[in-house]
Amino acid sequence: MPVAGLWGSDIPAQSGLKTVRDPYTGREVYVVPALRPDWAVLHVHEADAQGNARVFGSPFWDRSMSRAARQVIVTAERIVDTAVFQRQPELTLVPHFMVAAVVHTPRGAWPAACFPDYEVDHTAVRAYLAASRDPAGLRAHLAAADGASVVAR
Amino acid sequence: MSEPAVVDLMAVCLARLLRDGERVLHGVSSLLPMVAVNVAKRLHAPNLVYLSVAGGVDPSPPRLPWSSTDQRLTVGATAIFANEDFYDLCARGGIDVVFLGAAQIDRAGRINTSAIGDYDRPKVRLPGGGGAAAIMPTAGRIVVWRTQHTPRVFSGFTFFAHRPISLQPHSSAAHAACQQTILGYFLLILLSRNSSHALRSLRTIPRSKPRCPCSTTPSTYSRASPSQPLRNRPSTFSMSKPTLSAYGIGSSSASLGSSSSTPPP
Repeated sequence: MPVAGLWGSDIPAQSGLKTVRDPYTGREVYVVPALRPDWAVLHVHEADAQGNARVFGSPFWDRSMSRAARQVIVTAERIVDTAVFQRQPELTLVPHFMVAAVVHTPRGAWPAACFPDYEVDHTAVRAYLAASRDPAGLRAHLAAADGASVVAR
Repeated sequence: MSEPAVVDLMAVCLARLLRDGERVLHGVSSLLPMVAVNVAKRLHAPNLVYLSVAGGVDPSPPRLPWSSTDQRLTVGATAIFANEDFYDLCARGGIDVVFLGAAQIDRAGRINTSAIGDYDRPKVRLPGGGGAAAIMPTAGRIVVWRTQHTPRVFSGFTFFAHRPISLQPHSSAAHAACQQTILGYFLLILLSRNSSHALRSLRTIPRSKPRCPCSTTPSTYSRASPSQPLRNRPSTFSMSKPTLSAYGIGSSSASLGSSSSTPPP
């Protein structure tokens, strides 16, 4: 797909990006190959059992990732009735037919944020950074964090 | 009154680069621009359109978060403008100012956020530029900011020599970007090198916003041609130095438009 900009940067040469001539203006335009990951895993606020999913607040790249990936796994704070989606279909970020699996994972984004439900747990992030300096510390931290996230619920 | 902290002055300097009504974007790891945009919007630029990687349009968070990606930057927002949206907007010339961080800045205003040393065997592997390479030629102005000012950061830049700085004006957007880049870090380096002088000077900064003589409206600038990369172009534009007077520092003149720099052809 075409991408504006990139002129003057070393990145196109480094990445082997090519240009094509815009048939309408005659200008050269950089084009990048499509990213096609096998899976996108998206954490959302609400999903239904069919896989419809919606995000409150900012979706960042969720929409693009859901379209780029061959398959989507949705992890959701809450599972709601399909009727909830039917009342406001414009809020559905990922429709069910694109979703391979739905997993009910309350506080699934912890220690990061699922705003506005909960914000970043800075204390937990700092503890992770300190513990993850060596593999043993990381293992111990992950074991402890598993319990902590349950408690935090 | 005690002297303000240098970092506060940096935020104020960045804020004063913004004009009322402009569309301004900052990305991740941009705490200082986040503060600057909020300062500008609360003081001299109430109609500034505030966009950020967090997605909120014109948020008004009661407290600023620890991260410029934090979704607290959607609190009070009137719309969610997701990442695809602002990249597309920038690509079609719809964003006036973007703040970019950099590990290194060179004398031509180019920035490095990829690697120090050979790309494949770098001395330091940097986090990468995100969308900077796409945004830099397409945004109306780029303000490159950096809180640490060392010779390693300003690679190839000789601040006190006042030698002509060659820019490549064939792309007016790139030209404006370069010039704004230089002006931006000119201010910041000034702060770090001689902070007491800078503090005195900065108090004289007028409230009027600087205007870049070579900046064009987003819809009219031309983009550089890929067949002639910027770095290989002949230099046909020079200015004696990025004028401090553009920002009212050490001079009563306020407008960059009155500086002696030659406009691009």
